[in-house]
Order: sequence, then C-alpha cells, then structure tokens
Amino acid sequence: MSLDAAGQEIVKEMENQLNRNYFLKGIKVLFKQPLALVGFAIILIQIILAVGANWLTAYDPTAQDLSHVNLPIGSEHHWLGTDNYGRDMWSRLIYGARISLIIGFTSVSLGTIAGTILGLLAGYFRVLDGIIMRISDLMFAFPGILLALLIVAILGSSLVNVVIAISIWSVPSCARIVRGNVLTVKKQEYITAMRSLGAGHLRIIFKHILPNSLAPIIVFGAMHMATAILSTSSLSYLGLGADPATPEWGAMISNGQQYMWQAPHLVIIPGIAIALVVFAFNVVGDALRDVLDPNMNIDQL
Amino acid sequence: MFAMIIRRMVQLVFLLIGITFIVFMAMHIAPGDPASIIGGPTATKTDIIQIRERLGLDRPIIIQYLDYLNGLLHGDLGISFQTNRSVAEEIWIRLPNTVNLAVASVIVSILIGIPLGIISALKRNSWLDVFSTTVSLGGISVPHFWLGAIFILIFAVHLKWLPVGGLHAPFWTPQGFKEIILPAITLGTGSAAMTARMTRSAMLEIIRADFVRTARAKGVKERAVIWVHCLRNAMIPVVTVIGLNFGGLLGGTIITEQVFAINGVGRLMIESISARDFPMVQGGVLLIATIFVVINLLVDIVYALIDPRINYD
Amino acid sequence: MKKSKKVMGLVLSVLFFIGLVLTGCSNQSSESSSGKSSGKSNTPQEITYASTSKVVGLSPIMTNDSVSANVITQIYETLFVKDPDTMEIKPNLAESYENPDPKTWVIHLRKNIKFTDGTPFNAEAVKYTFDKLRDPKTGAPRASLLAAVDTITVKDDYTVVIKTKQPYGPMLAALAHYNSSIVSPTADKKQDLMKKPVGTGPFMLKEWVAGDHITLVKNPNYWKGAPKLDKVTFKVVPDVNTAISMLQTGDVDFLDGIPAEQWSRVQGMAGVKTLKKTGTPVSYLGFNVRHKPFSELKFRQAIAYAIDRDAYVKQLNGLGTKSNSIIGPKVFGYDPSAEKVGYEYNPEKAKQILKENGWEGMTIHMLVANTPGYMKMGEIVQDQLKKVGLKVDMQTMEWGTFLDVSKQDKFDITFLGWSNSTADGSELLYPNLHSDNIGASNVTAYNNPEFDKLVNESRFTVDQKVRKKKLDEANKMAIKDAPWIVMNHGVVTLAYRDNVKGLNIDPTGEWSLYPVYKE
Repeated sequence: MSLDAAGQEIVKEMENQLNRNYFLKGIKVLFKQPLALVGFAIILIQIILAVGANWLTAYDPTAQDLSHVNLPIGSEHHWLGTDNYGRDMWSRLIYGARISLIIGFTSVSLGTIAGTILGLLAGYFRVLDGIIMRISDLMFAFPGILLALLIVAILGSSLVNVVIAISIWSVPSCARIVRGNVLTVKKQEYITAMRSLGAGHLRIIFKHILPNSLAPIIVFGAMHMATAILSTSSLSYLGLGADPATPEWGAMISNGQQYMWQAPHLVIIPGIAIALVVFAFNVVGDALRDVLDPNMNIDQL
Repeated sequence: MFAMIIRRMVQLVFLLIGITFIVFMAMHIAPGDPASIIGGPTATKTDIIQIRERLGLDRPIIIQYLDYLNGLLHGDLGISFQTNRSVAEEIWIRLPNTVNLAVASVIVSILIGIPLGIISALKRNSWLDVFSTTVSLGGISVPHFWLGAIFILIFAVHLKWLPVGGLHAPFWTPQGFKEIILPAITLGTGSAAMTARMTRSAMLEIIRADFVRTARAKGVKERAVIWVHCLRNAMIPVVTVIGLNFGGLLGGTIITEQVFAINGVGRLMIESISARDFPMVQGGVLLIATIFVVINLLVDIVYALIDPRINYD
Repeated sequence: MKKSKKVMGLVLSVLFFIGLVLTGCSNQSSESSSGKSSGKSNTPQEITYASTSKVVGLSPIMTNDSVSANVITQIYETLFVKDPDTMEIKPNLAESYENPDPKTWVIHLRKNIKFTDGTPFNAEAVKYTFDKLRDPKTGAPRASLLAAVDTITVKDDYTVVIKTKQPYGPMLAALAHYNSSIVSPTADKKQDLMKKPVGTGPFMLKEWVAGDHITLVKNPNYWKGAPKLDKVTFKVVPDVNTAISMLQTGDVDFLDGIPAEQWSRVQGMAGVKTLKKTGTPVSYLGFNVRHKPFSELKFRQAIAYAIDRDAYVKQLNGLGTKSNSIIGPKVFGYDPSAEKVGYEYNPEKAKQILKENGWEGMTIHMLVANTPGYMKMGEIVQDQLKKVGLKVDMQTMEWGTFLDVSKQDKFDITFLGWSNSTADGSELLYPNLHSDNIGASNVTAYNNPEFDKLVNESRFTVDQKVRKKKLDEANKMAIKDAPWIVMNHGVVTLAYRDNVKGLNIDPTGEWSLYPVYKE
C-alpha cells in the first residue's frame, strides 16, 4: 500500500497547518483567561497533593484515634482537625485528592476510549452507524445517576464498580461527539484524496481522522472529569460508593453530615475540595473548548 | 418531516422493549432477592419460599419476562412487590411532584443562566464576564446534596424563611412556591451553567452575524440591536439546550428529592432499586426513558420547524 | 487596566462563595432562642411524626418492617400486650387464658368490641386472622411466628382454642407481636388491607398519599374510650438531617430512633424534649463458622480480646450499652450473672493467641450493610483488628443485597442486629443460633447440638421458670463459645416537641399514640 510521495506531502502539510494553528492559538488564549489559569493552578495543586500525600502528612488517613474525635480546625497536631473517628482531616483530604484524581482519570479514560472507538466506527462505517447509535440512544434514555445506581446495584458497591458505572455512563455521549466530528472530517478533501491514493481504512482512521478528532475528545475528557468526580460523591451520598473508611471526598461528606452541627468542618472541608476541583476541570474544559473548537472564537484572540 | 416523526415513533417502541429487557435481566441477575427483603432478617427458609411463590419468582426467568411483556402490551405495568399497589398508580402519585420540581428548576436555570450568559457575551473578557462565568460554573461544581443541606441550615432552620422540606402543591400556588424555592435553586444552579454557556456562545455568534452588522450600519440603536435582533435569534439554540436539559433533569431530581423529602419518581426509583422491587423499577425506568425520548423528539421537531436548513430525511 | 479588572472579577466571585459558606457556618451559633412555641389553650389535637423510609403497607399479615409497624400498631390490636415498663405480658383483646394441658391454649376474648367497619370482634375473626397468617399460599413474611401452631378452633363466639404440635413456651410473646394483630375478616375478603386497613385500634386510616404521608383519625367508638388526638400524620422524610431540622422548626412533633450522632444536637434544641430507655435490640459481630479459622474457638477469642467495645460504645453517645450477654437485660431469659462470662478487651492476649497459632497478618473478609450503625461498627472493628496485626478487607453493600449475601457462605465476619420485638429469649436464640435456621436467619451457621437441645427445652415447655433457666444456660454457653461478639445492646429513643404529652416508648421501640395529647 504505497502512497504517492507528492500526495503524502500535501496531506502532511494540511494536517500540520491545522495542528500548529490550534496549539499556538491555544496557548495564547489560555494565558489570556484568568479563570483557566486558576483552574490549571487548582489542578496542579491537586496533583501535587495527590502525588506527595505520603510525604505531606505523618498520619495514616484511616488510622483512628477514638480519644481525639471531632477536633476543630487549628488543633494542635491536626491543623485541619480530626473526624468522628479521630482521623486526621488533612491527611484524609490529600489522600482523597489522590482518590478523586484516580477515579476521575480512570473512569474518563475508560469511557473515552470506548466511546472514541465506537464513535470512530459509527462515523466511519455507515453500516455500523445505525446499530451503534441505537444502542447509544438506549443508554441515553437512562438518566445518568439512575444508570449508575442500577450498575452499582448489580455489581455491588465499591469504588471499582463506581468507576465502571461512570465509564459506561460516559460512553454514549463521547461516541456521539466523536461520530459527529468524524462525519465532518471524513468529508474533507485530503481524506478523500487519501482514499483515492489507496490508503487502508485503519490507517485513515487512526492516522488521520483520530488526530483531527482529538480536540473534542480532550474537551469532553476535561468536562467529564468534573462530572465523574461529582457523580462519585453523589453515589457515596446514597451509600453506594466507597467503603466508609476510604478517604473519598463524597463519602467524607455523607459521613460528616451526621455531625454537621457539632463539627461543621467535616462537611465543609471535603465540600469545598470537591467544588474547587470540579470547578477547575469545568473552567479548563471550557477554556479548552474555546481554544480547540475552530467553529467559534476565531476572533477571540 | 412527517415521515421522520413516524420513523422515530417506531424506533421508540423498539427502544422501550430493549430497555425493558435489559432492566428486567439486570434486576434478576443483581444480587439481592426481593423475597428475602420482604421477609426481613427474621424470615425462615419456609417464609422465603412462600413469598417467592406468591410473587411468582419461582418460575423460569423467560416466562416471567414474557408474562411481564404481555401485561405491558395490554397497558399493565404490574403490581409492586413491596406495596401490593399497581405500579402505574405508584408512579402517577409521584409524577406531579417530580415534574413540578423539574419545571421550577428549569425556570430557575433560565432566570440565572440567560442574564449571566448575556452579560458575559456583551462584556466579553471583562471582569463581569469572569464573574458570571465563575458564578455559573461554581453552581455546577457544588454537590447538590451538600448545597441542599446548607440551604436548609441557613434558610429553613436558622432564618425560618422557608419550610425544611416536602412539596405538596404546584409551584405557582403560595404554598408550593415557598416549598419549591430551595429545591429548585439547588437543582437549577447546575443547569444554569449550561444555559449561561449556551446563551453566551449563541450571542457571540449572532453579534458577528451579517444581519446584525447591517442593522448597526443602518443606524439601529445599540440597545435595540441587542434586545431585538440578537437575543431573539440567540434563543433558538438556548431553547434546545433547555429542552434537552429538562429531559435530563427528570433523572437528576433523585438527589434533590432525597434531601428535601420530596415524594417524587426519583426517590421512588432509589427505594425500589434497593428493595429489588422489580416491577416498580421497570415501570419507572420505562416512564423516564419515554419522557426523555419524547422530549428529544419534540426538540428536534421544534428545531426543524424553526430552522429550515435542517433536513431529517 | 483590563487585566486588573479581570482579577477583580475573580476575587469578587471567590468572596461571593466564601461568603455563602460562611453564612452557613456563622449562622449556626446564633440560634438557641428560637423554636419556642406559644402555649395556646385550644391547641388542635393533631400530631405529626416522621420516618426515614416509607410505609410499605398496613396489613399486619403482609408486612414485616418497623416503619409499617409504627402505623399498624395504632390501627390494629393484638390479643396480648407487653407492659411498656415491666415487659410483662397482659391480656388485651383477650380477657384471660388457660392451659388445660401444655399443648392447648384456651383463650377467652373480650366482648362487645367492633372493628371500625362494624364487624364484631370474635373467635371467628381470631381464627380467620391466624389461619391466613399461617397459610402457605398467603406467603406472609412472618408466617413462622405461628409455625408451632397445629390447629385453631372456635369453641364458642368468645373462646378460641389453639393447639400446638409441641408445648410452646413463647406462645404469648408471639400473640403479643404486632404481626399477630387481629384483622377484620369481612374487610379482608372485600379489600386489600395493605391499602385499606381495618382493625379494632384507637385510630383509623383517613388518607394515604403513597410515599409521602399517611393521615389517621381517631376511632370515636374505640372500646377503651376515644383517644385524645383527633388526627395523626405520618410523614416520610428520607434524610435524617432534614427530619431533625423539621423537629427543630416544629414541622414534625416527634421522632424515634434518633441516630447516636444526632443525639447531642437534639438534646440541645430549644422546645424539644428527649426520652431514652434501655431497649431489647442487640447488635453483634458474627463469625462465619463454616470458614477456617473462624470455626476455631481460639481464633474467635482472639478477636473478642482485640475489640475495645468500651471505646466503641462511647461513640454511641449513650445510645447503646455494653454487655457481654447475648440475651439483653430487657429480654426474657436474661440473668445478670451472664455479664461475667464473656471476654474483655485485652489486645496483648489477642496478639499472643494470633502469634501462637500462626494467624498473624491474615486477611479477613468483612461484610457490612451500608446503614450508618453497621458501618460504624465495621470501621471501628476494622481499625482495632489492624492494631493486633490482622488485615481487614471491608465490603459494604446495600441492605437488600446484604440480606441475601449474608445468608450465603460469602463472608468471614459480619455485623447484624436483632430487634427482639417479642422480647423473648427463645425468639432470639432459636432463629439466630439454632442449627434449624442455618441458611436463613442463623447467618453465622453456628451448629452446636448441646446448645440446640437447651434452646429446644426453653421452647417446648410452658413452665416459665424452667424456660428462664434453660435460656440462661444456653445464653452462657453461646457467650463462651463466641459465635457472636455482642457489640452493644440498643437504647430506644424519642425526641418530641415539649407540648406533646403522654408519649412513651417500650423497650422494643414500639409506642402507642392512644394516651398522647397536645398542650
């Protein structure tokens, strides 16, 4: 399957131009948006806390100390206080940062990979389009949290199953987005050119269509990180998420709610953490969309 | 257009049958036995066997499914395992509350989202833009159950302005209005962000459109340009998003109903899933899915009517 | 210039959110004077109660959950009742009874009582009710309550004769249980009692919005005299925080079963009074004795030594008492000497036993239902076992799944409770630890023929003295053998607005609204 050298050159040039424009514009726009910068900063801090959790605290996040329960913020030895089992809130907070990153990242990657593959197939091969889109309609008809509830009910409640539930839930929307994009890209001249030059389907899909569909996938991923983290906490509130000893932020809130009146920090600290992180992923997703979506914002610069 | 509607209706029927099959099988595969839940921890083996027989759970699963499907085709959603009431009746009692909440929160999201969206579009990249984006995205970022609990604490328990929970009247009546404020704001802030975002980008696009430029060039006052020309045209995509949101909200009410003690379909679903009340879960999912699909269809039809460029055939 | 404005916008919005959160926190210190109700003389005699889950149905035959029971006990009555303070069983709809032989119960009924649909209460109604409860076709969740019964005959209009297969000790306790409430036969044939209940009790159903609330009104012809309350509303409020806030604002007049975490909040509320009593419920850690090494007494002892139950009970804020005895102080068959039998906290000894037998570092699969009470036990025990060198893999699941899974062989240790609603020791030891019930209510699969024999002896005699002695022996045997480690005995609680009078709760957690009124 040899390509005509000149043809290849043209195709490359076209792609390069597209890509270079994106990235140059992207970086410029991002740095002009203070919110996006704040978002990046929050995510960066979260990553630092998550990675460095072992070094940033002397306490095991699950170790109880029943003689020092519900200590308030600013206590000696526990600057963020302790929870109702005397566990150090700071170490629960930063280990929680790790958990929420892992949950968000794995569920988004799993969902996005599956969704992307389905979307590519549906968009590229007309034969598969009908069946894949009908299945995704079927899944769309279940409201998100209800779908997750059903899945967790079937699989049992654990963090792994929450991840699975959230991934499955994100598959259809990702598939749709990718499919839409593939349909547009497919019509572009250079793809038609490649086809006439005899390129194979897989090669076209993975080397040319996929890279050009990355923009919406990345935007979707960033936005969905926010949804994933938020949904995990909602499932934990309904008692279907992490086991209660795990320092998962949502589980921390639902556990702390019982003590809201004596020890409000049990609810407020993880609540603010979730809100900040979800907010960060939302603004970053928003900014990425502004940058990567070529249909609008041409004159945003 | 007409052909499209017919085709979608036919698809809807198959979609719903597919959903009943999946939910039916999923519920039966799931660990947890409705009979041992009804029996409770005190039940003996004989108790449980007798309950299973009464519920018909001792029959082969395919027979149970066909039996269910047969009932469904005759418009019978079955009887709840738990309460012995008809599933349709149980849902019918709760549906108004959920719709009430969903509509009220859509209104809240419009009241918050559209002004914020307009402000950020008109004052693009100013501090007002940053402020309104932060507020709308902040709303979507806070967990509902957390926000709800804090609202109850402030406005119901301490200030005593509003009732703690419950919903017993439509939101336009005085009682219903008081009851709905907190839940509607809790739920509405989430979708407000989406509405704001959509309004902003639609406005931006319209402002740049030719006819607006023409209007400006013709010397139409700036205010009139914005309110008459831009806003009206920008509302088309916004209405779509609101419509789609509404479908999603019916499922999203689950958490809010739980926190504010609202007797809605979402809460019924949680209870029924955890009680393994199979007919109830199937009926509820079927209803929510139907509403969702129908709203989608309506949105598409409205869209096609408004925008002649779209061709579904 | 433009940039600084953007920064200003950002700062503004951050301040906005901080402000929101702060109002949430700061407001909470500024209460305390609120919530005082004005004492009017003509208070409407209406009362509202909230439960966290819905009432499933109102037929005593077809339900077996405490939320439905709360309403059912206001509408229906049983032949016998337990005294809420002494737990002594007294006749109610029955007038008296005698045992001509140990297998025969002749029960004389009270005359001139009518169901609220006008049907007379008589021997026919009693026979109808009990036969329906026992009938396998009914599929009643608590059919086993009368499993010992052989035949029920109507001797005359007001005399019922119940014959049992063997002498049956806990008969009266079973007849005092709400599941053996007498229903109106005419109503039951005509309608579904789950939706339209008819009993002889002080209240009748007025309105029921499924899942939201139930309204009862007084039965003006109640045979003991009409109740003082005109109207009672049972609301459903799924979130317990919301329910307690409603009590604080007066939207709800009383609550029961206050969670330990909320107890101090409720106690500190202006205008709210609380009541607590040692109750019959028991919560325990159970070993799956089918698994090794859980089948070995030594291992179970090591775990018992490793658990600091004092520290755990302290977390219950007074809503739970520590005891070694499986049969609790309010349950028939309890003797204080049982307290000396069990194993006290001794982590060193636990480590030693584990070390001697090579069990150190072992991983235990712990199954926990995801209700707050059991999760608390799970979390604390997990940590304490970690401290003696065991690894605990904790699996939480919904109650519905748990009920199913716990009956199978899929865990090493778990936590469960027993409400002892009959307050009779035989009704605790037989279902939970007798080998007849392995695969059902005996989740630990404890199988000890000697113990079985003692429990049977306590069941198959009507001599209450002999029963008590046998139960005490069985109790001590089980404590030593440790298939269970008792985590705590329950405390039953009520919290009510201070204008509610006459409210009382019995150790099984039941309350009657008959004597209640509002000031």
